[in-house]
Amino acid sequence: MSTAAEQGGLGKYIVVYICMLAITGIEVVIASSNPGGAHLLPIMLILAFAGALLGVLFFMGLAAEKRSLIIGVAVFTLFVLATINYGWTDSFRVLMGAPYAK
Amino acid sequence: MSHSDVALGGHHAPAMEPSPFAIPAIKLAMWLFIISDIMTFAACLVAYGFLRNATPNWPRPYHSSTIISVLVMTVILVTSSLIMLMAVRAARAGDRAAAFRWTMVTYAAGLLFVILHIREWFGMIGQGVTLTKNPWGTGLFGGAYFSVTGMELLHVIAALIALLVIGFGYKRGRYGAAHIENCHLFWQFINIVWMFVVPLVYLMDIAS
Repeated sequence: MSTAAEQGGLGKYIVVYICMLAITGIEVVIASSNPGGAHLLPIMLILAFAGALLGVLFFMGLAAEKRSLIIGVAVFTLFVLATINYGWTDSFRVLMGAPYAK
Repeated sequence: MSHSDVALGGHHAPAMEPSPFAIPAIKLAMWLFIISDIMTFAACLVAYGFLRNATPNWPRPYHSSTIISVLVMTVILVTSSLIMLMAVRAARAGDRAAAFRWTMVTYAAGLLFVILHIREWFGMIGQGVTLTKNPWGTGLFGGAYFSVTGMELLHVIAALIALLVIGFGYKRGRYGAAHIENCHLFWQFINIVWMFVVPLVYLMDIAS
Protein backbone atom coordinates (compact mmCIF):
# COMPACT_ATOMS: atom_id res chain seq x y z
CA MET A 1 0.00 0.00 0.00
CA SER A 2 1.55 3.27 -1.05
CA THR A 3 1.77 6.37 1.09
CA ALA A 4 -0.34 8.26 -1.43
CA ALA A 5 -3.06 5.67 -1.12
CA GLU A 6 -3.01 6.00 2.66
CA GLN A 7 -3.42 9.75 2.53
CA GLY A 8 -6.65 9.41 0.55
CA GLY A 9 -9.98 8.49 2.09
CA LEU A 10 -11.58 5.11 2.35
CA GLY A 11 -13.94 5.81 -0.58
CA LYS A 12 -12.10 3.62 -3.09
CA TYR A 13 -11.97 0.72 -0.66
CA ILE A 14 -15.65 1.01 0.21
CA VAL A 15 -16.49 0.83 -3.51
CA VAL A 16 -14.33 -2.31 -3.81
CA TYR A 17 -16.02 -3.73 -0.69
CA ILE A 18 -19.49 -3.13 -2.16
CA CYS A 19 -18.41 -4.61 -5.51
CA MET A 20 -17.11 -7.77 -3.79
CA LEU A 21 -20.36 -8.21 -1.90
CA ALA A 22 -22.37 -7.50 -5.06
CA ILE A 23 -20.39 -10.17 -6.95
CA THR A 24 -21.23 -12.72 -4.23
CA GLY A 25 -24.88 -11.62 -4.40
CA ILE A 26 -24.93 -12.07 -8.18
CA GLU A 27 -23.37 -15.52 -7.80
CA VAL A 28 -26.07 -16.55 -5.32
CA VAL A 29 -28.88 -15.25 -7.55
CA ILE A 30 -27.50 -17.01 -10.66
CA ALA A 31 -26.84 -20.28 -8.83
CA SER A 32 -30.24 -20.25 -7.07
CA SER A 33 -32.21 -19.49 -10.24
CA ASN A 34 -30.41 -22.14 -12.27
CA PRO A 35 -29.24 -24.94 -9.92
CA GLY A 36 -27.02 -27.47 -11.65
CA GLY A 37 -27.04 -25.49 -14.90
CA ALA A 38 -24.65 -26.53 -17.66
CA HIS A 39 -22.90 -23.16 -17.90
CA LEU A 40 -22.83 -22.49 -14.18
CA LEU A 41 -19.13 -23.33 -13.66
CA PRO A 42 -17.63 -20.82 -16.15
CA ILE A 43 -19.95 -18.07 -14.90
CA MET A 44 -19.05 -18.80 -11.27
CA LEU A 45 -15.34 -18.90 -12.08
CA ILE A 46 -15.44 -15.59 -13.99
CA LEU A 47 -17.28 -13.89 -11.12
CA ALA A 48 -14.94 -15.41 -8.52
CA PHE A 49 -11.91 -14.21 -10.50
CA ALA A 50 -13.42 -10.72 -10.73
CA GLY A 51 -13.92 -10.59 -6.96
CA ALA A 52 -10.46 -12.01 -6.29
CA LEU A 53 -8.85 -9.52 -8.68
CA LEU A 54 -10.49 -6.62 -6.85
CA GLY A 55 -9.28 -8.04 -3.54
CA VAL A 56 -5.70 -8.57 -4.71
CA LEU A 57 -5.35 -5.22 -6.47
CA PHE A 58 -6.98 -2.97 -3.87
CA PHE A 59 -7.35 -4.73 -0.52
CA MET A 60 -3.94 -6.38 -0.76
CA GLY A 61 -2.57 -3.23 -2.35
CA LEU A 62 -0.89 -4.95 -5.30
CA ALA A 63 -2.04 -2.17 -7.66
CA ALA A 64 0.11 0.30 -5.72
CA GLU A 65 3.22 -1.90 -5.69
CA LYS A 66 6.16 -1.83 -8.10
CA ARG A 67 5.44 -3.27 -11.53
CA SER A 68 8.00 -6.07 -11.11
CA LEU A 69 6.08 -7.46 -8.10
CA ILE A 70 2.74 -7.24 -9.95
CA ILE A 71 4.21 -9.09 -12.95
CA GLY A 72 5.92 -11.64 -10.70
CA VAL A 73 2.71 -12.49 -8.82
CA ALA A 74 0.58 -12.48 -12.00
CA VAL A 75 2.95 -14.69 -14.01
CA PHE A 76 3.34 -17.23 -11.20
CA THR A 77 -0.38 -17.38 -10.43
CA LEU A 78 -1.36 -17.76 -14.08
CA PHE A 79 1.32 -20.44 -14.53
CA VAL A 80 -0.02 -22.40 -11.55
CA LEU A 81 -3.62 -22.09 -12.72
CA ALA A 82 -2.75 -23.04 -16.29
CA THR A 83 -0.72 -26.11 -15.36
CA ILE A 84 -3.11 -27.32 -12.69
CA ASN A 85 -5.98 -27.35 -15.16
CA TYR A 86 -4.22 -30.10 -17.08
CA GLY A 87 -6.23 -32.62 -15.06
CA TRP A 88 -9.72 -31.57 -16.17
CA THR A 89 -9.79 -33.56 -19.38
CA ASP A 90 -8.88 -36.68 -17.44
CA SER A 91 -11.84 -36.15 -15.10
CA PHE A 92 -14.16 -36.25 -18.13
CA ARG A 93 -12.44 -39.47 -19.24
CA VAL A 94 -13.18 -41.00 -15.84
CA LEU A 95 -16.81 -39.88 -16.07
CA MET A 96 -17.31 -41.29 -19.56
CA GLY A 97 -15.39 -44.47 -18.79
CA ALA A 98 -13.34 -43.94 -21.94
CA PRO A 99 -10.01 -45.76 -22.24
CA TYR A 100 -6.68 -43.96 -22.25
CA ALA A 101 -5.56 -42.61 -25.63
CA LYS A 102 -3.09 -44.91 -27.40
CA MET B 1 39.06 1.69 3.27
CA SER B 2 39.06 -1.62 5.11
CA HIS B 3 38.47 -4.99 3.54
CA SER B 4 34.91 -5.08 4.97
CA ASP B 5 34.19 -1.62 3.53
CA VAL B 6 35.24 -2.86 0.12
CA ALA B 7 33.00 -5.88 0.54
CA LEU B 8 30.07 -3.66 1.45
CA GLY B 9 30.73 -1.24 -1.40
CA GLY B 10 32.41 1.59 0.50
CA HIS B 11 31.17 3.99 3.20
CA HIS B 12 28.44 5.62 1.16
CA ALA B 13 27.22 2.65 -0.82
CA PRO B 14 24.28 0.57 0.42
CA ALA B 15 25.32 -2.48 2.39
CA MET B 16 23.08 -4.77 0.38
CA GLU B 17 21.55 -4.86 -3.05
CA PRO B 18 18.16 -3.15 -3.14
CA SER B 19 15.12 -5.44 -3.27
CA PRO B 20 14.11 -6.12 -6.88
CA PHE B 21 10.48 -5.56 -5.90
CA ALA B 22 11.17 -2.40 -3.83
CA ILE B 23 9.38 -3.80 -0.79
CA PRO B 24 10.77 -4.77 2.63
CA ALA B 25 12.08 -8.31 3.00
CA ILE B 26 9.37 -9.20 5.55
CA LYS B 27 6.65 -8.22 3.08
CA LEU B 28 8.35 -10.04 0.21
CA ALA B 29 8.49 -13.16 2.40
CA MET B 30 4.74 -12.90 3.01
CA TRP B 31 4.06 -12.48 -0.71
CA LEU B 32 6.18 -15.56 -1.44
CA PHE B 33 4.28 -17.50 1.23
CA ILE B 34 0.95 -16.38 -0.25
CA ILE B 35 2.09 -17.39 -3.74
CA SER B 36 2.99 -20.86 -2.44
CA ASP B 37 -0.33 -21.05 -0.60
CA ILE B 38 -2.16 -20.20 -3.84
CA MET B 39 -0.70 -23.46 -5.15
CA THR B 40 -2.04 -25.38 -2.13
CA PHE B 41 -5.56 -23.99 -2.46
CA ALA B 42 -5.57 -24.30 -6.24
CA ALA B 43 -4.61 -27.97 -5.89
CA CYS B 44 -7.38 -28.52 -3.30
CA LEU B 45 -10.04 -26.80 -5.37
CA VAL B 46 -9.03 -28.51 -8.61
CA ALA B 47 -8.99 -31.88 -6.82
CA TYR B 48 -12.49 -31.09 -5.52
CA GLY B 49 -13.61 -30.13 -9.04
CA PHE B 50 -12.01 -33.26 -10.48
CA LEU B 51 -13.87 -35.52 -8.03
CA ARG B 52 -17.13 -33.65 -8.55
CA ASN B 53 -16.83 -33.82 -12.31
CA ALA B 54 -15.76 -37.45 -12.46
CA THR B 55 -18.39 -38.73 -10.00
CA PRO B 56 -21.86 -39.44 -11.36
CA ASN B 57 -24.73 -38.35 -9.07
CA TRP B 58 -22.60 -35.93 -7.04
CA PRO B 59 -24.93 -34.79 -4.23
CA ARG B 60 -26.49 -31.33 -4.16
CA PRO B 61 -27.26 -31.02 -0.47
CA TYR B 62 -27.32 -27.24 0.09
CA HIS B 63 -30.70 -25.69 0.83
CA SER B 64 -31.54 -22.02 1.30
CA SER B 65 -30.61 -22.10 5.01
CA THR B 66 -27.04 -23.15 4.16
CA ILE B 67 -26.76 -20.56 1.39
CA ILE B 68 -27.98 -17.79 3.71
CA SER B 69 -25.45 -18.91 6.32
CA VAL B 70 -22.66 -18.88 3.71
CA LEU B 71 -23.77 -15.45 2.55
CA VAL B 72 -23.60 -14.13 6.12
CA MET B 73 -20.14 -15.67 6.52
CA THR B 74 -19.03 -13.96 3.29
CA VAL B 75 -20.32 -10.57 4.47
CA ILE B 76 -18.46 -11.03 7.77
CA LEU B 77 -15.21 -11.99 6.04
CA VAL B 78 -15.29 -9.22 3.42
CA THR B 79 -16.21 -6.67 6.11
CA SER B 80 -13.34 -7.88 8.27
CA SER B 81 -11.02 -7.34 5.29
CA LEU B 82 -12.08 -3.70 5.10
CA ILE B 83 -11.63 -3.33 8.86
CA MET B 84 -8.14 -4.87 8.66
CA LEU B 85 -7.28 -2.35 5.98
CA MET B 86 -8.18 0.39 8.46
CA ALA B 87 -5.86 -1.23 11.02
CA VAL B 88 -2.98 -1.06 8.52
CA ARG B 89 -3.69 2.58 7.73
CA ALA B 90 -3.74 3.43 11.44
CA ALA B 91 -0.51 1.46 12.02
CA ARG B 92 1.24 3.25 9.16
CA ALA B 93 0.06 6.58 10.55
CA GLY B 94 1.61 5.61 13.90
CA ASP B 95 -1.72 5.45 15.73
CA ARG B 96 -1.06 2.37 17.86
CA ALA B 97 -4.34 2.52 19.79
CA ALA B 98 -6.49 2.68 16.65
CA ALA B 99 -4.43 0.00 14.89
CA PHE B 100 -4.81 -2.33 17.87
CA ARG B 101 -8.53 -1.59 18.11
CA TRP B 102 -9.17 -2.32 14.41
CA THR B 103 -7.02 -5.46 14.60
CA MET B 104 -9.12 -6.73 17.49
CA VAL B 105 -12.36 -5.91 15.65
CA THR B 106 -11.01 -7.97 12.73
CA TYR B 107 -10.20 -10.73 15.20
CA ALA B 108 -13.77 -10.67 16.56
CA ALA B 109 -15.19 -10.85 13.04
CA GLY B 110 -12.88 -13.74 12.21
CA LEU B 111 -13.91 -15.54 15.38
CA LEU B 112 -17.57 -15.13 14.40
CA PHE B 113 -16.74 -16.56 10.97
CA VAL B 114 -15.08 -19.59 12.61
CA ILE B 115 -18.10 -20.16 14.89
CA LEU B 116 -20.49 -20.03 11.92
CA HIS B 117 -18.21 -22.30 9.92
CA ILE B 118 -18.07 -24.90 12.70
CA ARG B 119 -21.86 -24.61 13.08
CA GLU B 120 -22.12 -25.35 9.36
CA TRP B 121 -19.90 -28.38 9.80
CA PHE B 122 -22.01 -29.67 12.68
CA GLY B 123 -25.08 -29.24 10.48
CA MET B 124 -23.47 -31.45 7.82
CA ILE B 125 -22.29 -33.99 10.40
CA GLY B 126 -25.82 -34.00 11.83
CA GLN B 127 -27.12 -35.00 8.39
CA GLY B 128 -24.77 -37.99 8.46
CA VAL B 129 -21.85 -36.61 6.42
CA THR B 130 -18.44 -37.95 7.43
CA LEU B 131 -15.10 -38.16 5.64
CA THR B 132 -16.01 -41.49 4.08
CA LYS B 133 -19.80 -41.60 3.81
CA ASN B 134 -22.93 -39.49 3.46
CA PRO B 135 -26.65 -40.17 3.12
CA TRP B 136 -26.73 -39.23 -0.57
CA GLY B 137 -24.58 -41.97 -2.05
CA THR B 138 -21.10 -41.15 -3.23
CA GLY B 139 -18.66 -41.43 -0.34
CA LEU B 140 -16.17 -38.97 -1.84
CA PHE B 141 -18.38 -35.99 -1.15
CA GLY B 142 -17.70 -35.78 2.61
CA GLY B 143 -13.94 -36.08 2.26
CA ALA B 144 -13.83 -33.47 -0.52
CA TYR B 145 -16.14 -31.07 1.35
CA PHE B 146 -14.31 -31.30 4.68
CA SER B 147 -10.88 -31.08 3.00
CA VAL B 148 -11.56 -27.85 1.11
CA THR B 149 -13.57 -26.09 3.81
CA GLY B 150 -11.24 -27.48 6.51
CA MET B 151 -8.22 -26.02 4.72
CA GLU B 152 -9.96 -22.63 4.68
CA LEU B 153 -10.96 -22.96 8.34
CA LEU B 154 -7.41 -23.95 9.30
CA HIS B 155 -6.06 -20.83 7.59
CA VAL B 156 -8.61 -18.59 9.33
CA ILE B 157 -7.71 -20.07 12.74
CA ALA B 158 -3.97 -19.62 11.99
CA ALA B 159 -4.63 -16.01 10.96
CA LEU B 160 -6.63 -15.41 14.15
CA ILE B 161 -3.69 -16.63 16.25
CA ALA B 162 -1.37 -14.37 14.25
CA LEU B 163 -3.74 -11.39 14.70
CA LEU B 164 -3.83 -11.95 18.45
CA VAL B 165 -0.06 -12.32 18.85
CA ILE B 166 0.85 -9.47 16.48
CA GLY B 167 -1.96 -7.23 17.74
CA PHE B 168 -0.93 -7.44 21.38
CA GLY B 169 2.77 -7.35 20.44
CA TYR B 170 2.16 -4.20 18.42
CA LYS B 171 0.30 -2.60 21.32
CA ARG B 172 3.27 -3.29 23.62
CA GLY B 173 5.70 -1.92 21.03
CA ARG B 174 7.29 -5.27 20.29
CA TYR B 175 6.14 -5.29 16.67
CA GLY B 176 5.86 -2.53 14.08
CA ALA B 177 3.52 -1.47 11.31
CA ALA B 178 5.21 -3.91 8.91
CA HIS B 179 4.04 -6.83 11.05
CA ILE B 180 0.45 -5.56 11.07
CA GLU B 181 0.67 -5.16 7.31
CA ASN B 182 1.88 -8.75 6.94
CA CYS B 183 -1.08 -10.00 9.00
CA HIS B 184 -3.29 -7.86 6.80
CA LEU B 185 -1.91 -9.47 3.62
CA PHE B 186 -2.57 -12.95 4.98
CA TRP B 187 -6.07 -12.00 6.10
CA GLN B 188 -6.89 -10.56 2.68
CA PHE B 189 -5.59 -13.73 1.07
CA ILE B 190 -7.98 -15.84 3.16
CA ASN B 191 -10.83 -13.59 2.07
CA ILE B 192 -9.86 -14.04 -1.58
CA VAL B 193 -9.71 -17.83 -1.25
CA TRP B 194 -13.21 -17.76 0.26
CA MET B 195 -14.40 -15.96 -2.88
CA PHE B 196 -13.56 -19.19 -4.75
CA VAL B 197 -14.75 -21.65 -2.08
CA VAL B 198 -18.28 -20.20 -1.97
CA PRO B 199 -19.18 -20.62 -5.65
CA LEU B 200 -17.24 -23.83 -6.30
CA VAL B 201 -18.17 -25.78 -3.17
CA TYR B 202 -21.54 -24.34 -2.13
CA LEU B 203 -23.25 -22.53 -5.00
CA MET B 204 -22.51 -25.20 -7.61
CA ASP B 205 -24.39 -27.76 -5.51
CA ILE B 206 -27.59 -25.99 -4.49
CA ALA B 207 -30.44 -28.49 -4.14
CA SER B 208 -32.90 -28.19 -7.03
